[in-house]
Amino acid sequence: MVNVEDLISLVLRTGVLSGVVITSIGFFTSSEVAWLGVLVLILTPFMRVIMAGLYFLSRKDTVYAALAAYVIMILVIGSFLHII
Amino acid sequence: MVVHRSRKPVEKEMVGLDPSLVALAILMFGIFAGSLGAMLGLGGGVLMIIFLLLALNIPAHQAVALSLIAVIASSSMAGSVYIKDRMTNLRLAMVLEAFTVSGAVAGAFLALSLPVSAIQALLGCVLFYTSVTMFRERKEECFESSGSGFLQGEFYDERACATVKYEVKNLKLGAVASLIAGAVSGIVGIGGGVIKVPIMNIVMKIPIKAAAATSNFMVGVTAAASAVIYFQSGLVDLHLAAPTILGIMVGAYIGTRLLAKSKSVVLRRLLAVVLAFFGMILLLKAGGLLAW
Repeated sequence: MVNVEDLISLVLRTGVLSGVVITSIGFFTSSEVAWLGVLVLILTPFMRVIMAGLYFLSRKDTVYAALAAYVIMILVIGSFLHII
Repeated sequence: MVVHRSRKPVEKEMVGLDPSLVALAILMFGIFAGSLGAMLGLGGGVLMIIFLLLALNIPAHQAVALSLIAVIASSSMAGSVYIKDRMTNLRLAMVLEAFTVSGAVAGAFLALSLPVSAIQALLGCVLFYTSVTMFRERKEECFESSGSGFLQGEFYDERACATVKYEVKNLKLGAVASLIAGAVSGIVGIGGGVIKVPIMNIVMKIPIKAAAATSNFMVGVTAAASAVIYFQSGLVDLHLAAPTILGIMVGAYIGTRLLAKSKSVVLRRLLAVVLAFFGMILLLKAGGLLAW
């Protein structure tokens, strides 16, 4: 059984390092690759929110699962608002 | 509200500077800011935004966007260590980050329609405030607590060789502070720890180490919430993103190694004076009294 803390730690580290590597490759190749790298970096903290949300959901801890869902909802709204 | 729909290419307004020279400068400064930030418990964002705005003359919204990217990288990296060491209060973070994230989205939207002078003025005030908090001694008080009740937490204090238990008080005030910290973060491109940590420590009665770790943990998602708006508006300079992220991360790594339990009061005070100086510069610029 993996601890939620260790899982979050892993998600954060993997996400940031992938973001750095992809963005750096993009620096020498194309801005499309750099764009992808920045996107990976920005989405990393949200991945850990999803992880924590799923963990609390599996423990029937609905208050914290709802809080995670709210944060994700705000992100989605934020990313669409610029189109209006 | 002004909404930037087009993904317009980032304008280069840096006077006569070679783009690769700018990238190199950002990389070098990022290493400096990252290591100093890690040593003094100051997020790299504060130093990064000053450098981008005043040294490189990058347009305000783009500077804020790049600084937010740096903040996400450094806070996520540090956050992964703190939570592995069980310093972070995950439940408390999840409650408060609902507020920081709401503030961040509102702040980023507000910032896009704000004039540059308003952003400079707010950043100037934040720098003064940061300077004041750095002059204060960082005491590590004892919080006697049974460690029971809502949102209680505990962590192992390496220096004291003991498990510290604490209860969280005044959650409402903490929520308000988080909302404000999030909005400021979205407008000026800093993490906002400087606003949250003193409130969490003094008002919410959370031991400083747990407060710092928990605040840092929230900073990543807070900066990401506003960064996504700048990113979608085409304000993240993709050429400068790599040196920004790489620099701050290498710096944070070095800073953590150099930390070695150093409590450099002189360094803190020196930086406090530097921040106050740039705070004044920004306020003068905002008032149109200084053309830098």
